[in-house]
Amino acid sequence: MMELVLNTVRKIDYDQKKEFTFGNTQSLEDNLAIAFLNPKNAKELKVTKDGHIKISNEENSIIVKVIEDENTPEGIVVLPVSIWANQITQVRETEIFYKNIKVLVETTGEPITKYMHIINRIKGD
Amino acid sequence: MKRFTCSGCSLLCDDIIIRSDGLFIDEVIGACLKGKERFDQVTAKNRITSPMIRNGNELKKISWEQAIEEVIKIIKKSLHPLLYGFSNSSCEAQSKGIELARIINGFIDSNASICQGKVLGVANEFGINLTTITEIINKADLIILWGANPAETIPRLLNKTLFSRGKFRMTGREIKTLVIIDPVKSASFNVMGVRDIALQIEPGKDVELIQALKEECCQADSIPSEGVAGIDQEDLKRILLHIVGTENGVIFLGQGILKSDKENRLIREILEFIQMINSKQEKGRISLIMMGGHYNMAGFDHAALSLAGQIGGLQFQDHTIINGNNSIVSKIKSEDFDYSIIVGTDPISHLPYTLSSKLAKKPIILIDNQMTATAEVADLILPTAITGIECEGLAFRLDQVPVHLEKIINPPSNLPSDENLLDQIIAKLKERGT
Repeated sequence: MMELVLNTVRKIDYDQKKEFTFGNTQSLEDNLAIAFLNPKNAKELKVTKDGHIKISNEENSIIVKVIEDENTPEGIVVLPVSIWANQITQVRETEIFYKNIKVLVETTGEPITKYMHIINRIKGD
Repeated sequence: MKRFTCSGCSLLCDDIIIRSDGLFIDEVIGACLKGKERFDQVTAKNRITSPMIRNGNELKKISWEQAIEEVIKIIKKSLHPLLYGFSNSSCEAQSKGIELARIINGFIDSNASICQGKVLGVANEFGINLTTITEIINKADLIILWGANPAETIPRLLNKTLFSRGKFRMTGREIKTLVIIDPVKSASFNVMGVRDIALQIEPGKDVELIQALKEECCQADSIPSEGVAGIDQEDLKRILLHIVGTENGVIFLGQGILKSDKENRLIREILEFIQMINSKQEKGRISLIMMGGHYNMAGFDHAALSLAGQIGGLQFQDHTIINGNNSIVSKIKSEDFDYSIIVGTDPISHLPYTLSSKLAKKPIILIDNQMTATAEVADLILPTAITGIECEGLAFRLDQVPVHLEKIINPPSNLPSDENLLDQIIAKLKERGT
């Protein structure tokens, strides 16, 4: 398990609105339930290619697929802006934080968090 | 073929050529990927074309008469309405939203309050130097992207501002210096030339960086030899030379700044820094542009200011605006609402779980043209026409310039515009004596 800094970013190839409009639930999960990690951090976490990680903080936790990315600095985990990312973004007092959030990251063999699971969790079902 | 304005993002490109017979859009020329997606939404499979009501886990189609009745029913039995969104609506619809909030004594806020609206709030205290895209195209010699990645968020912004040859200059890209300050090497780094400066800052260290630059401005050689915030001393000196020597510089503030700032400290520091630089400048100035994403994110504050004399969240009581000191975050966090009217946005996706789970607990009336995560939990969905394609309206570009959006084709199923639908709700409330 590693402590990393979470940053959510907008990426044109990993765009939730595009998936809602032109894709389906499967393509939404394939393209948005992902995290970008520096290869060194991925190696330290012993994540295999297309392996999954669990990202958690005091708010919540999600399981997403890892994409190794040289452009992501060490110590940072980057998530495209999406409903997955916003399960672990934070509210402190009356401010929302979408970036620079401390999270715990660990390798897992469990499947990614499904879209409908997130919706049901939000609905309280 | 005719030229139209694109409402795909807040840049509102006015050079998109459309071939249409008034019924269908046959060809779109000159739009970026985001713009193309916007025009493709007309026929997207997640398009909603009739009102729907939730029945357990199912959404059931209903008539417009029934839908308006259901809206009135929810409004009548509740006391603390919350209206949110409006950044993907025209200024006319935003104004109707504010009118509705006044009639039903609600709280209304837009997406801007958790994004670029924060800068305007701070600007009340410090003042702000803004500029326009035209000014940048024609005159800029320094472009700073601070926590901004326009290559992926506002794709044509750099085409227009960095690669343009200005009217008042004989030169173009070759005299324009690009500085990018970001912890992540984003796609925008790919346009950098040899004279440009990339500063990969350590996350959350922007305030330290500005304070170091401010100190260096006042007293030369005050930057520590080991650098600041993960940036070399030499790079810091270079960027400062560019900033103080610019004839016409602009800082694009992106989501990296707008969405990570504790108590607006960073925004305060940036506004102060700009004022400090401009007071020392003899021949030029540096300005700011906030990079909100939604096509009319800037518009809500203009509508709120003209109708209620305030920017940001507006709380009405006894049909009068009061100073409630509330924000959309504080309202949802304290569950100080009993239902919500969401217009043209997807807060169930966009807000952190702490807030989205609270929003979902109370009835949601969603006014939108497509299925989203919010539609998955909404109790009532009222579809509308797409502004700038199926209906006209006014929007404010990211540089606060008003732009008129034209109608190109008729909406499917004769869908009303956001403005028209809100007007119907207001008329029905008045008819019932509310």
